[in-house]
Amino acid sequence: MILSAQNICKAYQDSHRTITVLDGANLQVQAGELVSITGQSGCGKSTLLHILGLLDDSDSGTIEIGGVQVNSRHPDAPFIRNSKIGFVFQFHYLVEDLTAMENVALPLLIAGKKISTSMDEAKAILGKLGLQERITHFPNQLSGGEQQRVAFARALANKPSIVLADEPTGNLDPANSLELWKLMRQLNQDLGQTFVVVTHDRELAKLADKSYELVQGKLNPL
Amino acid sequence: MKSIERFYLLRYIKSPKRMLMRFSFVFMVLGIVISVSILSAGLNLFEGYERALKTVLLDSFAHIKIESGNGRFLNQEQLDRIYDTLGKRPEISALIPYIGINLMAIDSENTRGCIFNAYHTPEGEDLHYGKFVVEGRPQVNDGEVVIGHYLAEEFGLKVGDEISLLYPQLRRVTPLGVSSDTRRFKVVGLYRSGYYEFDRSLIIGTLTDARNILYTNDPFAAVEIKLDSKHVDKAKELASSYRYALGSDLIAYPPISGDLLRIVAMQKWLIFIVFSFLVLIAGINVISAVSTMILDRKNQIAILRTLGATAATVRKVINYQILLVCLIAIIIGQAVGALLSLFVVKQGFYRLKGDVYFIDKLEHHISFFNLVTVFVVASILVIICVWIPSRQINRLKIIDLIRNP
Repeated sequence: MILSAQNICKAYQDSHRTITVLDGANLQVQAGELVSITGQSGCGKSTLLHILGLLDDSDSGTIEIGGVQVNSRHPDAPFIRNSKIGFVFQFHYLVEDLTAMENVALPLLIAGKKISTSMDEAKAILGKLGLQERITHFPNQLSGGEQQRVAFARALANKPSIVLADEPTGNLDPANSLELWKLMRQLNQDLGQTFVVVTHDRELAKLADKSYELVQGKLNPL
Repeated sequence: MKSIERFYLLRYIKSPKRMLMRFSFVFMVLGIVISVSILSAGLNLFEGYERALKTVLLDSFAHIKIESGNGRFLNQEQLDRIYDTLGKRPEISALIPYIGINLMAIDSENTRGCIFNAYHTPEGEDLHYGKFVVEGRPQVNDGEVVIGHYLAEEFGLKVGDEISLLYPQLRRVTPLGVSSDTRRFKVVGLYRSGYYEFDRSLIIGTLTDARNILYTNDPFAAVEIKLDSKHVDKAKELASSYRYALGSDLIAYPPISGDLLRIVAMQKWLIFIVFSFLVLIAGINVISAVSTMILDRKNQIAILRTLGATAATVRKVINYQILLVCLIAIIIGQAVGALLSLFVVKQGFYRLKGDVYFIDKLEHHISFFNLVTVFVVASILVIICVWIPSRQINRLKIIDLIRNP
């Protein structure tokens, strides 16, 4: 088991009321799986993904990554985020001042690898994703689809156990969205890369190995 | 330094404009450059003043003076004793017996109190004041004088003109008091030591003329001692030892008060402390720039934290870039300060008031110690000003940064 989430609860306190977004959500992800989570806007999909990625804390419940129980306050959380988890967000979150290659090299540099080694590895990953011609381009010189592929390359840079993708196709047109799903599937099949993908697109979600729908704070198989 | 920190620093050096050149940054750099340049220039000028004053005082004045304990002229026996006791001391470069008289220079419009000094210089030896004679010649014959250049200016005199000196006739006491006499001397040289008081009031003549003015045949009023440059700072201690060696009828003392130089040195460091506050004020700009930068780069901070960078690493990534800029600004400030102090020295529209500051010429001196002191103090202030606001990175929650990009 790569990732296990047990009985995850999360509520937000508004000025007058408590909004429960996760109410005992459970999820198990095996190595090499491509898992999708879908649901209506504001149902808590991203919150769940942030908790799984140790970016946020749940009110209750446990997260195990590689058999180790962790949360975002765990002293090793930064190390786990760097070495075992890859992140892809809807808005790409690329550093505008850095080139595609430098963006991809960031996790490697944070891991302590030499600058030259990091750049070489980043170049190789970008090459695999068909972006060898774009390595010296800055994010604003790339199309939306290319930016998202750079974000995937960055997520894969440290060869993580699992990649968590939050609405990766949210900002792309249907053709590019499909391309990106194909890319994920290819990486999943060729490299055995595990993915947990949050999407509001039910049709795309069904292309995953396992699909869940988040309803009233609980994950139900789609 | 970790790879990520080194990478960002190198990346910034390679492309500073793209990475970190904001409006607030320009003001921050300007603030540091201006404050450090004022601090450096102030210190350079005070250092120059302190050194120039010390040089001028030590060159113009005797380092130690020996006089008779009863206030009268030295007799021959005392003079011989001084030569026998001190003549071969290695730390003494010259023993100069002399006569000094207070008198007045007068013309139809001006009156100025002056000191008439007459020195004994053995034949074949250089006149110790010769290097200060900037016009004419230092050698004087009877009826001739060398006068301070300000005195010459004040009286409108040049080499070859005559100056009238008014002095009391000590042997002609009348019921109305001591009567005075006037004598004219030919100006053969102009004296300029840099020490304002001497340049305005010193007159150098012959021993014969001095004795004639005083109606005396006694040889000398006192002996000036010039010390070897290595021993100048020990003048006070040496004077004590000479007094002990010479006997109780002679007194030896250093005429230059060390307190003056100590006060000047203290003033220099007071100025340094006051001007350091300018750097501190510039530091407020640094705090503001760092805070703005953290807000501007919330996205980037979120990315780095998401990718596994600790808050401490992110702080270092940002701090190193800002510190690099600040340290370069400090160095530029020091260079500008050096140019500024040089400009102040070279400009012609402001001169020191000699009667207030003892010397009338501005000097600057760039010392390695001062450079290091300014750099270290400014750097410490800047580091503190960078460190304080960057602590807010620790308090930023990743999830808030991601949710509110």
